[in-house]
Amino acid sequence: MAYLATFHWGWLTAAGVLGLAMGWIAVVQRGQGVSKTTSRWLAALAAALVAAALARAIPGRPGYWLDLGLVMFAIYLLGCAVGSWLRDWVVSRSAKPA
Amino acid sequence: MHGLFRWSSKWWPGTIPLVVLWAFAAWSSTVPLESDLAARSTSALKDTVLDKTRIEVAGRDVIIAADAFSDDGRRSAVAAVEAVPGVRLVNDETRLVPEARPFVWSAERDVARVTLGGSAPLPASKSRLLEAARASLGGVEVVDQMQLSRGAPPRFDNAALLLLDQIGKLKDGKIAISDSKVSLSGMARDLGGREAIAAALKNLPEGFSIAANEVKAPPYIFQAYKDPVAVTLTLTGYVPDNNVHAAIAAAAGRKFFSEKVVDNLKASIGAPSGFVGAVVPALGALSRLSTGTLVVTDREIKLSGDAFYDAAVPQIRAGLARDLPQGWQVNADISVKPSAAPVDSTVCQQLFSDLLAKGKIRFESGRAGIDPDSAGLLDRLIETALRCPTANIEIAGHTDTDGEDAFNQTLSEKRAQAVADYLVKAGMPASRFTATGYGSSQPVATNDTDEGKAQNRRIDFLVR
Repeated sequence: MAYLATFHWGWLTAAGVLGLAMGWIAVVQRGQGVSKTTSRWLAALAAALVAAALARAIPGRPGYWLDLGLVMFAIYLLGCAVGSWLRDWVVSRSAKPA
Repeated sequence: MHGLFRWSSKWWPGTIPLVVLWAFAAWSSTVPLESDLAARSTSALKDTVLDKTRIEVAGRDVIIAADAFSDDGRRSAVAAVEAVPGVRLVNDETRLVPEARPFVWSAERDVARVTLGGSAPLPASKSRLLEAARASLGGVEVVDQMQLSRGAPPRFDNAALLLLDQIGKLKDGKIAISDSKVSLSGMARDLGGREAIAAALKNLPEGFSIAANEVKAPPYIFQAYKDPVAVTLTLTGYVPDNNVHAAIAAAAGRKFFSEKVVDNLKASIGAPSGFVGAVVPALGALSRLSTGTLVVTDREIKLSGDAFYDAAVPQIRAGLARDLPQGWQVNADISVKPSAAPVDSTVCQQLFSDLLAKGKIRFESGRAGIDPDSAGLLDRLIETALRCPTANIEIAGHTDTDGEDAFNQTLSEKRAQAVADYLVKAGMPASRFTATGYGSSQPVATNDTDEGKAQNRRIDFLVR
């Protein structure tokens, strides 16, 4: 993992920044989110992929691409979480005085 | 925390650019990543002894294919690649090099090249052997046909290096190790080479033994060439030691009374037994030829050339057959020199005088037996006598003043008669020759010195 991080820091940073931006937007967005059922399915899919990666079940290049995708996705999620939390903090602080 | 769940349901639109980003990342980074991992894996294997190493990287998975020389070697190679950061899986396609039973290594030499074949235990020892072969054979092409195999006997390298030293001493041949048995065959380059190889083989490492040593010595050659134009006798080839050398040179000096002896002999061991006993009579036979070549190869004597007259040919053959030690073979190819033009009596006398000025007919000390060393001179005298067939010749014997006059008189008569008999035996008509003894009555030099006495002891040919 450390090797992937040092070798791909540029792409991982981009994924993080993308997540940060998405998280920032998500707090104030009015649109419809994914339904609970769908998100459960998506979580299950993500868990299955993580399991496949950890088990090293997929050989060769596809295996590497899966690892890369999952790492980027994890950093994206982390970026989203941080972004949303930051936006929420900013919004609630500006709302209080008003 | 509840908020995070609420917000996360709206994070999905970002996955679309994320997928695009991922696709770019995968597209652009796969090949550099693979070559980076391949380079790291290769350098991780640098200290491991492997042959035919091949590393393939697919994504982060490494396939390592190689020939290893032990199970430990295989395991450590795989472990070394597994320890490379970034490597996910190692597919072990290494195998042990085949074991050779028996473990055979060979070095074969022919005229132009040395071929190393069979098995070597490790790449390092293989290259060391090649290097040693090139160094010890300076200039000779070295062909490598060695394969790598397991199962070499202990101390194989030392044994093979010692044997490579010996291949330089062979003209052609083969040296092989089969497990711990060494076998050699072929022909030594120089006389003494066979003995040098046998001596070196005593230093073979412990555990190795000689199964067969069939190295042959090169033929022991002695040559003599009598050149009537340059008036030389050229000796080439080998003699066993300096004493024999001196004996042969002295014999050549006595037998070849007018020729200059060009001595190019070298001393070397390996002479066949009875060498002197065979070479001296063979030189005697050569001295009776007008032009001729004597080649002694091991125990075979080859004499070719032209005798001075017909009766000399069977005499020479019989003499050789009688005088050679047992076990020696003669191959005499002797023809007769075309007879020279007849001359008149005056020229004949001149020719006799010239010959007898160059050499003297020798006798056993105090007796009338002709020394065999004088055979060459007598043949020349006979040839000259044949050129003046009508001349009558007086053979005059003389002595020095040592001893009693009566004895000297008798001795001179007997010696003159012995020469006359020799000529008659060679086919000359007895009526042409008269043998006369003069004792010490006609000295040609002073009898006060040894040198003068030697000059006075003589046989003269006088044309009447």
